[in-house]
Amino acid sequence: MDINAIYTQIDLDLQGISSPEGLEQFRLKYLGRKGVVAELTSVIPTLSKEERAAFGKLANALKNKLVSLIEEKEKTLLGSAQENKSSVCDIGMPGIVRELGQLHPLTRITDEICDIFNQLGFSIVEGPEIETEYNNFTGLNIPLEHPSREAFDTFYIKDYAKMLLRSHTSPVQVRAMKSGKPPLAIVVPGRVYRPDAVDASHSFMFHQIEGFMVDKGIKFSDLKGILEIFAKTIFGKDIKMRFRPHFFPFTEPSAEVDISCIICKGKGCSVCGRKGWLEILGSGLIHPNVLKHVGIDAQVYTGFAFGMGVERIAMLKYGINDIRLFFENDLRFLKQF
Amino acid sequence: MKVTYNWLKDFVEIKIPPRDLANKLTMSGLEVISLEEKGGDFIFEIEITSNRPDWLSVVGIAREVAAITGAKLKKQKSLSLTKNRKAKDIALAIEDKSDCPLYTARIIRNVKVAPSASWLKSRLELVGCRSVNNIVDITNYVLFELGEPLHAFDLDKLNKERIVVRRAHPGEKITTIDGIQRVLSKEQLVIADGIKTVAIAGVMGAKDSEVSINTKNVLLEAAVFNPLIVRRGRQALGLQSEASYRFERGVDIEAVERASLRAAELIKEYASGEEIAFKAVGLSKAKSRIINLDVADVTRILGLNIPVAKIKKNLSGLGFGVKSKSKNTLAVSTPSFRQDVSLKEDLIEEVSRIFGYERIPVSLPAIKSCVSIRGKRGLVSEVKNILTGLGLSEVATYSLTDRASLAGLELGFSNEPIEILNPLSQEQEVLRTTLIPGLTSVVAFNLNQKQEYIPIFEVANVYLRDTNHPKEELMLGLALSGAQPVLLNNGALKDEVSLLNLKGMLETLFSRLGIKDYEFNSTLGSEIVEIYAQRNKIGSMSRLSNSGCAKSNIKNKNVFLAELSLDKVLSIACTDKKFISPPRYPGITRDISFILKEDISVKDILKLFKQTGVPLLQSVRIADYYKGKQIPSGFKGLTLTCFYSSVERTLKEDEIQPLHTQFCERLTKEFGVKMR
Repeated sequence: MDINAIYTQIDLDLQGISSPEGLEQFRLKYLGRKGVVAELTSVIPTLSKEERAAFGKLANALKNKLVSLIEEKEKTLLGSAQENKSSVCDIGMPGIVRELGQLHPLTRITDEICDIFNQLGFSIVEGPEIETEYNNFTGLNIPLEHPSREAFDTFYIKDYAKMLLRSHTSPVQVRAMKSGKPPLAIVVPGRVYRPDAVDASHSFMFHQIEGFMVDKGIKFSDLKGILEIFAKTIFGKDIKMRFRPHFFPFTEPSAEVDISCIICKGKGCSVCGRKGWLEILGSGLIHPNVLKHVGIDAQVYTGFAFGMGVERIAMLKYGINDIRLFFENDLRFLKQF
Repeated sequence: MKVTYNWLKDFVEIKIPPRDLANKLTMSGLEVISLEEKGGDFIFEIEITSNRPDWLSVVGIAREVAAITGAKLKKQKSLSLTKNRKAKDIALAIEDKSDCPLYTARIIRNVKVAPSASWLKSRLELVGCRSVNNIVDITNYVLFELGEPLHAFDLDKLNKERIVVRRAHPGEKITTIDGIQRVLSKEQLVIADGIKTVAIAGVMGAKDSEVSINTKNVLLEAAVFNPLIVRRGRQALGLQSEASYRFERGVDIEAVERASLRAAELIKEYASGEEIAFKAVGLSKAKSRIINLDVADVTRILGLNIPVAKIKKNLSGLGFGVKSKSKNTLAVSTPSFRQDVSLKEDLIEEVSRIFGYERIPVSLPAIKSCVSIRGKRGLVSEVKNILTGLGLSEVATYSLTDRASLAGLELGFSNEPIEILNPLSQEQEVLRTTLIPGLTSVVAFNLNQKQEYIPIFEVANVYLRDTNHPKEELMLGLALSGAQPVLLNNGALKDEVSLLNLKGMLETLFSRLGIKDYEFNSTLGSEIVEIYAQRNKIGSMSRLSNSGCAKSNIKNKNVFLAELSLDKVLSIACTDKKFISPPRYPGITRDISFILKEDISVKDILKLFKQTGVPLLQSVRIADYYKGKQIPSGFKGLTLTCFYSSVERTLKEDEIQPLHTQFCERLTKEFGVKMR
């Protein structure tokens, strides 16, 4: 076979190749098992000793040439392919994507808060929204007819005696302490209801997170420690905290917890009412009467409890100024979270 | 409760400026909501917690100021009694001592009713009390100062100088000082003279016996009424007054006589009255409790060591009697104005309040971790994450709604909803039995805001009637409307949503939750698709009907809705994953294009694949679906992609051919499809 004719054919074939597939065909044609080179070398055994050496050299040269030509062609093909692409794709165009949805801001905050306590060893427990009068009030040391109940105005339901929509998540304290034995460390997220006229800061339905811990030797300083971790995780480690004496029927001693205003850093602004402090939750050591009601010996065990409004935390954290936005569900609002 | 800086100074020496005082009060439990400088004085507005009626007075707050600033209370001059007064003039009777433990009456003659002295007027006005005349103002002044509500009657308007404290006769009428006629019942306690009712005890006096400019002689009432009776009585009348506010919370029985005297003295001084008689019926001593306080308990409960001397000082500063019982035990007696204190925990709060909560250290409890089970909440969270991944936004709508919104729905339970006994408005009259109306109104709201694509879901309870206890069921609601604008490589596309988008989302959800055995069944002649899993109905979906759209004010838009019982879905969810080895050998795909009658459901075609069990045929997928010009009317075109593979070897073409032909023949035979 005429080696030169082969080289000419190679040149011709190479010029016509514009795709990796074409190059592969080319490779098979010349270097494949039944390709041109194989055909050439197949005649070697029939040649004389002298001819063999010369012919072998030529065949080898052809093979090497082909390998380098293919490599070269591969590079140019690849390069041109890249050029090709960048010329049709304007990277200034928006990326192609199907939009993700998002969780409601109240879900996000609830999860964030629950996760903090979960990591501290608290379990998450939920309870019913329709509660008994006992669990909502009496069991929590709130007398049914007393001014202390005024903070807990309540929706009652028809046809079911002494049943109501819980006005706080605290009834789950009663449930959990009745069904479980100390040590207990529990957080309770959920919807609660109070007949409040709706305005920028009031809603007849809102969300709370309750937390409590009961064990031997639980003390006020433990409450301070746990809540400090919580508040600094949510609002940043630079905030200041203060515990203010307060009154709740189900805790004694009781405290309201303020953080330094996250807007003005404590200097005083419209958000904190020029006080420099923002109230974020109520807390205290569980009242001995509450423990007594659920059959836990208050001489042996002590506990702390705290409760917060999820909307309030979300409003402070995100700077939302109207509670009604959470329930209006404007997509332009929801998509911000 | 409002109190002024100067008024406090009548009772206690204050050496710190008003702002510092406000801060100290706040940090001891009397939260100062506002501090305002006015008329040369400073007004503190303080939120008084319901357990501390003693703080509803200047003297009570002054006592607190003394305790927290370490100042001494100023000694008040002792009030002298008139020597020649007589008691027999007044006939006093209390029908039931449990309604009224103590009633006192004082008769003051020859008063000159006139506008109040300016100092009196301005002090009252600073604390938000309107000035009436000197007599009424003095009773109010004493109320604010000592926390004891008083009432002055025009003695000459009373019949026969006789006072009876009794329950009202049913239907009895009285016109109160505010000019409103009120009908009473046995709920209310009243003050009556020999003939008529002259006051609702502890709430408000009658118009016709009030002190007027013509009043000459006054009967001054100072008493203690049962808090519960006052509360029930005034609630029934929808009425509240400074007096009832204090009686409900409890007034100090041991300060009643002093308050009466203080008022008499002021009347003598500023209205030239002459006290001539005084009578008291009932108890004038409160129960005192002795509480043993072990000092070790203070440390145990607070996590802070407070020296015994400090504990003693803090408690006695607040008016408690403190005696050492042993080295580490104190016997603490409660003063009459602290009926709220009954346990050692109450005392520990008092000690720590004055000592300062900020001095309690920070510690962490030993946590006894238990195995944490992800449970239902974890699954719900997973469901929400899957749905947001599918482009749906979570919404939150009210559980309470109006009855009309639940009527005439295609979807959702139409059970009789549970009613609210005391709604504030019609929008809160019932508990919802379905999430559909809430979702529909969110869609309507966002369409109104010109949103093109509204993909939403909500996870929340519905409330159903059940025999003994109402039932709460966790539901998942979805709504889709509009078109999702998508920009693709070959240009823009408006992907108008349909019921199949909802179906696809639910299928993805089921698949992720490991639910395999589910079905979407449409009923003939209805747009409602019922969703079954393991042969139980778990929910339904539908296009919102025209009437539904009209009701929600949605025009020219399709809204697709679905509602499922999430409780049921989660009860069959199987999130435990089992590994199946992915196929090692490449398979062969074969497409089939055919036309078939329009009324044959694709579901039946796919079912055939499952039922016939063609060997090596692993899956059948709908690759294309078309109707239009090339297809005769009444027919639709379908392309199926069939995938054949083996776990043991690479398949050969000629091995597949007879199997594939067999499957195509089955299709032709069962459904009369025509291959294209």
